[in-house]
Formats: sequence, C-alpha cells, structure tokens
Amino acid sequence: MSEAGHRYIEHTADLALEVWGANEPIMLAEACRAVIEVLTEAAPLAGTHEHPISLDAIDRGDRLVRLLNEVLYLALVNGFLTIDAKLALHDGGLSGKLVGEAHAADKIRTEIKAATYHDLQVTQTPTRMTARVVLDV
Amino acid sequence: MPIDLQKHDDQCWVIPREGRMRVPGRIYASESMIADLRNDKSLQQVQNVAQLPGIVRCSIAMPDIHWGYGFPIGGVAAFDEHEGVISPGGVGYDINCGVRLLRTNVDVEDVRPRLEAVSLALHRAIPAGLGSRSHIRLGKGELDAVLREGARWAIERGFGQDDDLAHIEEHGCMPGADPKLVSEKAKERGRPQLGSLGSGNHFCELGYVAEIFDEQAARMFGLALGEVTLMLHSGSRGLGHQICDEALRDMLRTSERYGIELSDRQLCAAPLSSPEAAQYFAAMACAVNFAFANRQMMTGFVREAFSQFFGSTSEQLGLRLVYDVCHNIAKWETHDIEGRRHRVCVHRKGATRAFGPHHPDVPADYRDIGQPVIVPGDMGRYSFVLRGTERAMQETFGSSCHGAGRRLSRAAAKKQARGRAIFQELQAKGVFVQSDSKLTVAEEMPEAYKDVAEVVDVMDAAGIAKKVAKLVPMAVIKG
Repeated sequence: MSEAGHRYIEHTADLALEVWGANEPIMLAEACRAVIEVLTEAAPLAGTHEHPISLDAIDRGDRLVRLLNEVLYLALVNGFLTIDAKLALHDGGLSGKLVGEAHAADKIRTEIKAATYHDLQVTQTPTRMTARVVLDV
Repeated sequence: MPIDLQKHDDQCWVIPREGRMRVPGRIYASESMIADLRNDKSLQQVQNVAQLPGIVRCSIAMPDIHWGYGFPIGGVAAFDEHEGVISPGGVGYDINCGVRLLRTNVDVEDVRPRLEAVSLALHRAIPAGLGSRSHIRLGKGELDAVLREGARWAIERGFGQDDDLAHIEEHGCMPGADPKLVSEKAKERGRPQLGSLGSGNHFCELGYVAEIFDEQAARMFGLALGEVTLMLHSGSRGLGHQICDEALRDMLRTSERYGIELSDRQLCAAPLSSPEAAQYFAAMACAVNFAFANRQMMTGFVREAFSQFFGSTSEQLGLRLVYDVCHNIAKWETHDIEGRRHRVCVHRKGATRAFGPHHPDVPADYRDIGQPVIVPGDMGRYSFVLRGTERAMQETFGSSCHGAGRRLSRAAAKKQARGRAIFQELQAKGVFVQSDSKLTVAEEMPEAYKDVAEVVDVMDAAGIAKKVAKLVPMAVIKG
C-alpha cells in the first residue's frame, strides 16, 4: 500500500473526494494535492514557493475542510497552487507551510466553490487515516 | 432503511413525521421522478431539514430536487422567528445565485441570419469564464457601497434605468446589509469579479418566445410570440462563496453552543433570535446585494452591446427587464399559517419565490396575475416563464422550482461528451454557443440535465406556478 492516495467518487451535482495517508498530516497534504489536481486538471506544477499556514479547528473533520478552503482561497485569489504541505497539528488546529507554485492562476482550469461539511467522514485504522469530503463545484 | 414515501396526489408526496423529524416532508414530483428519487440521498436531506428547530409546517422539495450538501437542491423551509434557526447551508455558497429575463421587441427572424455575429458581440460584452474579472475597477470604499445598495448602485453608475428596480426581487436591495461584517478575504475575492458571469452553470442566453400558454400574463410581462429575449444567470461569485464558508465555520461552534443537534454538519445553524444569526444575515445580505449589482451591470453590458449591434437605442429595441429572481437565499417573510399571520425566515436553496396575485411584494404592473417565475432549462431545449399563484402562498411559502436539475454528474457528462463535437451538435439545432472552455460546455450539455418541461408541468398541474411562455435558445454565452 502506498503511503498516501486519493480517488474521486461520483456525486450528481458535486464531487466527492476520498483521500488517505499513513497519518493525519500525510493525509492532509494528499487532500491539498487532490483539490489542486481537480482545479488544474492535473497540470504539472513546481514546488518552488512556500506559504505559511495556521488555523484553528474544532476537530479533525473541521481541520480538513478549513485547510482545503484555505488552499482554494490561495489558489483562486493569489494564484498559489499547493502541491505539498508540511503540517504540525495542535489542539484541533494546525500550523506549518504549504509548498507549491506561485502566480500560477493561468493553470486553473475548473472552478471549485468550496470544500463542504456535507457527509464529511474521517476514519482512523491502525495503518492509515482516511477522509471523505464533498466539494461544491 | 428505505424512506417511507406516501403518495398524496399525482404531483405531491409526503414523508410522514418520524424519529427526530419535527414536521413532515413534502415533495412535488411526478410518478417517474419519484422512481429516480427513491435511490437518491436527497430524500434523506428533506428529512434532515425537517429535524431543524423551529421549522414550520413541512420541509419542502420542488420537482427539480437533487442531492445537494446539507439542504437538498430544490429545498424550501420556513423557520419561526422565535423558535427557529437560520442555516448558511440552507442558502448555499452562491448566495443569491439568480436569473433575470429581459424582453425585446426584436423579431427572431431579424436575428437568426446574424446569430453568430450577435452571439460574438454578447461574448465580447460580458466577462465570462473561470475567475472572470470585470471591465470595471472599483475605487476604495466603493465595494462597501455595492454591498449596501445592490442594483441601485449599478443603476446610479449608468448600468441600467430606474424602472429596472421595480422588476427585481427585493427591488434589488436586501435590507440589513452590513459591509463591516464581511471579511477582507471575501471582499478581496469578490472585488475584481463584480460585473462578470463566472463559470459552471452560469450563462447569458439569447432566445425567443416560442409558445404562449397564458395570453393575458404574457402580455403583462411584455412577452410576445417570436420576439427575442435575453436571460442572465449568475450570482455573488467568490464573495458569496467566502461568506458562506466563513459562516459555516463559525456556526459549527454556534450550533454546539446552543445545543442544536445536527444530522449533517452542513446544516449547522444559529437561533434566529441570536446575535450570531443577525451577524450572518447582515453578511448574507451583502452577498445578495453584490449579486443584484452583478446582474444589473451585466444587463448594462447587454443593452449596450445590443444597441451597438442593431444601431438603435435600448428604448427603441424595447429592452426591458421582465423580472429578476433569487435562487439561493434566506428571507424574512410573513405567511398565513394555520389561520394566523406568522413571521418566518424562508430558506430557498435552488428554489424561486413565486408570490401569487395581489401580494404587495409583486410589482404593481404584475400584481393582478402574480410574480414572474423564470425557470431556465438546458442550453439545447427550452426554458419557461411561469407565474406565482395563491396555491403557492398556501402550500409552499410562495415558492416554486428553479431549473431542470442535473441528471448526470459533471464527470459523467464529460465522459459522454468525449469524442463528440458538442458546439457543432448545438449549432445544428440552431444554437450558437460561445465559450472559451470546451470542458464547461461538455459538463453543461443538454443531456446532463433533466427535461425542464417535466419539472414545470408538475408545478403547473399542482397549481403552484402556472405556465405563461416557453423560450427557445438561439445563442448561449458560457463561462
């Protein structure tokens, strides 16, 4: 089994994403990559820039949704496209840095309004953490 | 466990109250639509909404119901002002996504031979597409004025005429907007987008009146057989998305604080009497006004493009606003419920207000026949204009359907479109599509949607909204 991965699940109006990783920070970094993959239709991106990130959350699910919405905001407003995340978790929230390509708004091919809380699932097994999140596209 | 769905009559089905439901569910649909819905999560979503505190009478779904997030798309729910809640998920991300219809006195046959040229002129006039940006640069402090004033702001800057306001829901300005409660992030996201269409299912459509069902109502709305129409579908762009996202984040905590049990976190809510609810309402109203101003500016662009193309003034072309309706909104309204006047907060998520005759909020010139309800279909077939009824006031808090509803997911549509020339297929049917994105057009191809005629037939037969006219598209501008 690879350390992290993701797949898309059909949803009539929107797009659901299942994402997994060996632990939560790896799963979260994978989720960022997956959302940007949707946004850019898998355009090749360089990890040449970093962007600091820090946010509060009430639990794991909230942490995932808030992180993805921050990643989307940075992409849509600043053209910063995340391909990796180095994150430390604390008291529900997280801090660290996002790694990606800056000033790359021209690589965005599709719109995602937001990551939603609908049908949000985060499950931990002995070997990995898996999450499911619905995107409003 | 299968949902207990009971037939009330040929157009209406009921989910009886059970478990944590506070009121029953009520779904408007035909027999064949119900067969599809039985395997869909949207019925569960109708039940979930019925569990929210202070919900009044029933949790309603329109015939274009489909699986949303939190509320079903096509959902309507009203909440008591004292015991009820407001839910950002019940409004959605694209706050005041809506549609407006313009009529003209231009004959379809004058346009048909020049369709490609006129569609190009419209495409040039309206910024469209992903992250599309306006022609207009807002000065410092101007965005706050937009958020407070809505369509009036745009009209005062030359993007319309004073009499447009009477033909916009809320007169184009939702009261109670407070720009101080909108984050800098939301403003930053929205500022460059005012006066742009966006992408996805948003569009500008040139069509014509192909059939009239109600002569008197059509005449009053200014719709005549064979005359050209223009429809605009767009919302509050990134500003609304950001306001909704931030409100959901805050209301997760608020729901916990007030002990509101949630079967879906996207339904998080605040008691209507709480400061948190007032705060959300004031921010939401800003997004509502942004969307009204957005559609008003694009109306200005369309009028200018048409005037230049035909070498006539907008007045000579009879380019008049029929009506502008909101699809995603929460509003304070007063309704008759069990024999008494009741102030409620009505959430419409993918649903349209459809007030009946004599209601004071219906424009004076339409008051004898009811409010126009504009129901766009897909870009290859047709759209409808309906009118609101007294029955809607009695059964649905004066609400009706808002569109066709998707049949295929976006991914499935793209898959079906592979190897096909969708632009050419539509052109062969007489519809010119102008878009910079082949993928958007694939996602939005006609087969991706249900037949809107079936949807409006349910509303018409149920007496909720009556058919007035059918519009057929000739040119569509997509983002």
